[in-house]
Amino acid sequence: MNSMNDQNFFDLAMKAIARQASDAERAELDALLTGHPELKAEFDRLQVDVRTAKETLALVNATKATEPELPAYVRGRLQTKVRQALGRPKVSDERERELKMIWNWRWILGLATCAAAVVLLLYPVRTRPSGAMIQVAMLDTVGTVRGSETSEAEILKQEWKSSSIQSFDSPALLGNWETNWPKGSKVIAKVVYDRAAGEVRVSLHGTVKLPRRTFVVERDLPTTLQEANAFIQEHTKH
Amino acid sequence: MQKLPDLKALQSGDMAAWDTAFLWLWPAAYGAAQIQLEPYLPADVEDVAIEALEELVEKVQEVNSVEELKPLAASIAHHRAVSRLRRHFAAKRGCGQNESLEAKTQEAGDPPEMGVWDSPLAMLEEKELADALRRVLAEIKPPQGAIVADFFLHGLNYGEIATKHQVALGTVGVYLKRGLGSMRRIWERNEK
Repeated sequence: MNSMNDQNFFDLAMKAIARQASDAERAELDALLTGHPELKAEFDRLQVDVRTAKETLALVNATKATEPELPAYVRGRLQTKVRQALGRPKVSDERERELKMIWNWRWILGLATCAAAVVLLLYPVRTRPSGAMIQVAMLDTVGTVRGSETSEAEILKQEWKSSSIQSFDSPALLGNWETNWPKGSKVIAKVVYDRAAGEVRVSLHGTVKLPRRTFVVERDLPTTLQEANAFIQEHTKH
Repeated sequence: MQKLPDLKALQSGDMAAWDTAFLWLWPAAYGAAQIQLEPYLPADVEDVAIEALEELVEKVQEVNSVEELKPLAASIAHHRAVSRLRRHFAAKRGCGQNESLEAKTQEAGDPPEMGVWDSPLAMLEEKELADALRRVLAEIKPPQGAIVADFFLHGLNYGEIATKHQVALGTVGVYLKRGLGSMRRIWERNEK
């Protein structure tokens, strides 16, 4: 069969497989298959190829798709998976050296804090303080979008006006801050806004065991902060 | 054009990089799951897409370039969707439901096309299927890819394709033959 007839057979076969062949085209294909029995195997092969091509192209199209959007609740579940499977990001050697230097300073600051705590303990306390001391921090490991970081700090400040907002770019430093509780009988709340994880963590510390909770930023940050604040108020009211 | 996530950051568990990656990968995983499940188990599409991306997180250390991630996500989702369909229909058979073909069709559309589960795609490992998809994406260039998709996926006939892509009617079949031939070679390479 020459190349023109070969292309003609292919076109007839494609139309037949796609159920687009007219009666005349179908009759022409049948005649070809009868006159050239070797084409039957090629026709069968084309049917398999078409089925495979359909599946392949459908998957290829899926890889090019830009919709639908990722639902918010799915994001939270996938982030949990990342934390479970890959843990916290590793710290580079340079960063580790920086951390060591910072640790030295932390020792000095720690001693100073201890001294301050001793002074406070010796100071006569007449009345039990009401409400909790709230410490707020945000973790921003990306640190590229300065504008958005500033506005988020402002949102945090709006929720807790009397608290200063600390900013960390290292999970390790934040971890230290989170677990470093001042001594005393006052209830303390630590609020951490983890920007990358899209969550707000609240830890409470006092003379009795107090709960800890993570709020996923589902709708927006102000709403989540209000929920976190309500949680703090609920567990620290007298 | 969307900026691709950084593979090293993903492999080190950087959450910001994963946030970008999930937004980018979700349509691929969802779309691949939808192809198999939409006619029979539409409620399971989202679940399968989530599971596929969770599996992708576990496999990210085996990936060499970020471009591999989308085909891999689609491949994992495809395999998981096929497995779920198999379990679904096996469970139905296992429950002794001797329903007629007509009854099954009324309930959940046509039963899966004969041989869908033993097609070359289902036979491949996830990574092999992902590689094949990447090669198809790389080798079938426009307008060939669009013409082949219009004929095989969208059901356009030769005349409609010629008009749409402004090519001579006689060349439509040539594009189809080349496209099908390219895909056949990709699959044959995989079989080897």
